[in-house]
Amino acid sequence: MSEEDNVKLTCTLKAAVAAATLLAGTASAQTEIEWLQWFAAENTTGFYEALAEEFEATHPDIKVKLVTQPFGKVRESIVTDSAIGVGSDVLGLNMPWTAEFMKIGLLEPLDDYLARDTNSFATEDLVQAPIGKIEGHTWMVPLNAFPFVMHVNMQLVEQAGFDAPPSTWDELREQAIAIAALGEGTSGIGLPFSSQPPANGPILTFLPLLYTNGGRIMDGTTPNFDNPKVVETLHFLNDLNKAGAIAPGISSRTGGVDLEEFIAGRTGFLISPGVHAQAIEGRNADLDYVAAAVPNNGIEAYRVHGWELGLSSASRNKDEAWEFINFLLSKDVNARVAAASNALPGNLEALEIVGEGAGDVMQAQIGILAEHEPVEELRQAPNAVGSWSLMTEEMQSMLNGDQTPEETAANVQARWLDLIK
Amino acid sequence: MSKIEIRNLVKMYGAHQALHGIDISIAPGEFCVLVGPSGCGKSTTLRMVAGLETISGGEVVIGDRVVNGLKPKDRGIAMVFQNYALYPSKTVYENMSFSLRLAKMPKPEIARRVNDVAQILELTPLLERKPGALSGGQRQRVAMGRAIVRDPEVFLFDEPLSNLDAKLRGQMRAEIKRLHQRLNNTIIYVTHDQVEAMTLADKIVIMKDGRIEQQGTPDEVFHDPDTLFVAGFMGSPPMNLIDCIVTPTGIRLSEVEIACDVPPSLTSGDKVVFGIRADDLRPSSEGAEGVPIKAHLDLIEQLGTENLAHFRLGHTEMIGKTDGRTALSAGDTPSFTLQMRHAYFFDPATGARLR
Amino acid sequence: MTRIIQGFRAQGTAYLFLLPCLVILGALLSVPLYKVVEYSLYDNVIVERNPTFVGLQNYRDLLTDGAYWSASLNTILFTIGSVVGHIIVGTGLALLVNSDINRHAQTLFRSLLILPWIFTAVVVALNWQLLLNPFGVVNYALGQLGLIDEPLDWLGDPALAMWSLLVISTWRGYPFIMVSFLSGLQSIPQELYEAAEIDGAGFFAKFWHVTIPQLKPVIYGVALLDLIWTFQLFPLVWLTTGGGPGRATEVLSTMTFRFAFVDFEFSKAATAAVSILVISAAFTILYLRNETRKI
Repeated sequence: MSEEDNVKLTCTLKAAVAAATLLAGTASAQTEIEWLQWFAAENTTGFYEALAEEFEATHPDIKVKLVTQPFGKVRESIVTDSAIGVGSDVLGLNMPWTAEFMKIGLLEPLDDYLARDTNSFATEDLVQAPIGKIEGHTWMVPLNAFPFVMHVNMQLVEQAGFDAPPSTWDELREQAIAIAALGEGTSGIGLPFSSQPPANGPILTFLPLLYTNGGRIMDGTTPNFDNPKVVETLHFLNDLNKAGAIAPGISSRTGGVDLEEFIAGRTGFLISPGVHAQAIEGRNADLDYVAAAVPNNGIEAYRVHGWELGLSSASRNKDEAWEFINFLLSKDVNARVAAASNALPGNLEALEIVGEGAGDVMQAQIGILAEHEPVEELRQAPNAVGSWSLMTEEMQSMLNGDQTPEETAANVQARWLDLIK
Repeated sequence: MSKIEIRNLVKMYGAHQALHGIDISIAPGEFCVLVGPSGCGKSTTLRMVAGLETISGGEVVIGDRVVNGLKPKDRGIAMVFQNYALYPSKTVYENMSFSLRLAKMPKPEIARRVNDVAQILELTPLLERKPGALSGGQRQRVAMGRAIVRDPEVFLFDEPLSNLDAKLRGQMRAEIKRLHQRLNNTIIYVTHDQVEAMTLADKIVIMKDGRIEQQGTPDEVFHDPDTLFVAGFMGSPPMNLIDCIVTPTGIRLSEVEIACDVPPSLTSGDKVVFGIRADDLRPSSEGAEGVPIKAHLDLIEQLGTENLAHFRLGHTEMIGKTDGRTALSAGDTPSFTLQMRHAYFFDPATGARLR
Repeated sequence: MTRIIQGFRAQGTAYLFLLPCLVILGALLSVPLYKVVEYSLYDNVIVERNPTFVGLQNYRDLLTDGAYWSASLNTILFTIGSVVGHIIVGTGLALLVNSDINRHAQTLFRSLLILPWIFTAVVVALNWQLLLNPFGVVNYALGQLGLIDEPLDWLGDPALAMWSLLVISTWRGYPFIMVSFLSGLQSIPQELYEAAEIDGAGFFAKFWHVTIPQLKPVIYGVALLDLIWTFQLFPLVWLTTGGGPGRATEVLSTMTFRFAFVDFEFSKAATAAVSILVISAAFTILYLRNETRKI
């Protein structure tokens, strides 16, 4: 290297260092928080991007970066990102992940944050299920809530000779069998029990029915699958299947196919979150369709599911991150989030805004929310995702005629305990 | 041994006509060579006889059968390809016996035949080798062996020697000739090399642009060409062909008056092409009879017993021959003699020979 | 030593140009590879902040796990079935689209037949789920033809799921073989077919004695490559059946994924991954040896 080159190099280096300092200076003036979620993937109108900008307008020192992934990828990403130390600050969460994430230690307890008097909401106004304490702490807050309902094809119900949706198990059984007997490829109800991921058919259909039967699968944080209420519910499904009321192809039926078949008018009933009303009404406006509470066997309860928010324990900007969560839970913003996701608000104070001028399906959900008991067990279930794979496999086997409901319950319990050993 | 009759054979490729009614009659045991520049239709004719190309018009008769609709294997032919087309994965023995196996001939009979032919072609030590381990000449012999074992009525050769070097080509040419004398099969042989044609053929068919220019014995086509094209194509060095004008006493060739007899159909002032082979254009000092001209020697090419003498007559370049021991050299201006009894005249417009 | 230095001096610039590539390759290949092997020697990595070294315990556990062996068997079935399917269908179609037909039709067929290769696994899985649905086109067609009495749940019946998956995998994977063989076929000299025709070979004899031997080097290399790919194929299986029903179509790759992202047992996942790696590496060495022999 010549003398001249050396001089050049030195100059370049000095310039680079200066530039770097300058950049670092501007960066330190503004804190960037990352928000990993799937919500923006399910709303393509740019709603969440606009929301972030709205927040930034009132908080010039904070910048929100949306990291958007499809729902199926988020759980993996949270774990792998945390393993290599590049985790986001605000996390979009799903209640069944709670126990797993706690075990890995990647969630920040929210008790201190919820106790702040600067919060834009009152903790008691939030949907309670997600904030219930596990191991003495609250781990997530609800952005919105989806009660499970039963979507009903009224045209099929009437063709089968009934004039109202079923409200009890007996009515459900009777109507489902009658609808299947109409022929022409109609079925009473579909069970999406494919092993194909997310393989969560049982938690979509079996658990809501179990809860209206007054049953549970957890005893605190311990699996308690092998109990009479569970066996009773399994019998109910098994009998429906034997009577030919369930759509064929249970073990290959995915959630997507189940929804499509209902939209196409080939199944009488669909148990799923109320949010599916949007897809059903949007895709088949001619369908004579109502939403009702899941038929019960004595207990008026509903399974609740929602989009939750949490803080990463590894975040270096927890206060800024909470500031953003606080913004999302404020009454007005939360109402808009609920409307955008066609869900109920996580902050129930926003319910009146959401209820104003809402359609029948939303009103039905508000009614269920007001009168029935909400249940959510998976947040305290260890290896929840692994557990519903097991449920899927064992129920496939039962509905295939290979084992009894009693054996099914016992097998799930044994395998689940083995999994968390 | 069968005769072959090709009658009014036509080949169309879409709207393009590649062959315009070819008629060739080949006697049993005759060695017929199709020769011509590339694109003249010689290979197409051969492939139509073989059954590898469909026949657009006319017919091919082998022996007593019209073979137009027959598959190649049913025509009683065997073919040797330009690139040998040996099966690379098979040994020499397997290559040679393949057709017999397909014909379900008993194994001992196959072995006997293959071994016999291998003996003739001196392939016996190579029988277990694969084609990849053979030299070009050996592969050529295997390709011939494969054809011979079938004992066909007709052999078809498609430029079989064009991939060999000059020396090997000479050897193989002789070998093919000997083989023909021994087996005496009817052969159609395609080549673009007029020396091969001359040395091998009983009958030469000279083709150009999908038409036959002339057919006959080598002697006929060489010494008595029907057309300007045949005269120029056959023979090496090529015949001297010079535009000239008929005069009352003979012809005027490049400003030189030559007194000679011209065909009676010509009258003074006609344009003709005058042709004479180098063999018939020798130094006057060697005692040839004919019309002397004064040559400006440019170059002497030594061939050994003879030399080629490149010289100018006026502005026209010509090639003559001298004795190999000649003392002439470039720059000399000796007298050469045109042996006019071996001169030819052609119509410059149609290329037809004027007699 | 001096010779090495001299060599380096002479070719130093070349190595300098290679450096970025080597660094990236090193980072992208060797680090994860090392990590996976390391993980397989610890107890419950990632989930535990301070995992303990357990040596080969994870391997002992895996090799005594019945589920591992049934997944291995499924993997072998799936791999061999797929590769054989790819070769048979790929060769057949390569021959068909290589045949001497109208140029435009030929181009059209070649383009159409490559399509399965272009779709992503998600699309393939979704389409076949719909086709094989009890109410799907396949059941309808078979029913109309009188081949089945009532609709079958192709992907949901443990006895049929693997066969259905093989059909899907064959459909998805044949274009690679077809394209490779097509170029192989086109390099076979026409003279060989003509010679065979004159020797009296019919369609099958020509195929067996000319086409197959000429394609043999291509077949061997391509089949090995396909074997390596199919052996560790994940998305198609996972998205189509998720290893189910039950574990009827569970292969080693889906099992590894299940360990990692369903059960959060990353050490077990790493162990299963290493077992896949060992077998894939063996195939790869075979393949590379075959390739060097060609050169």
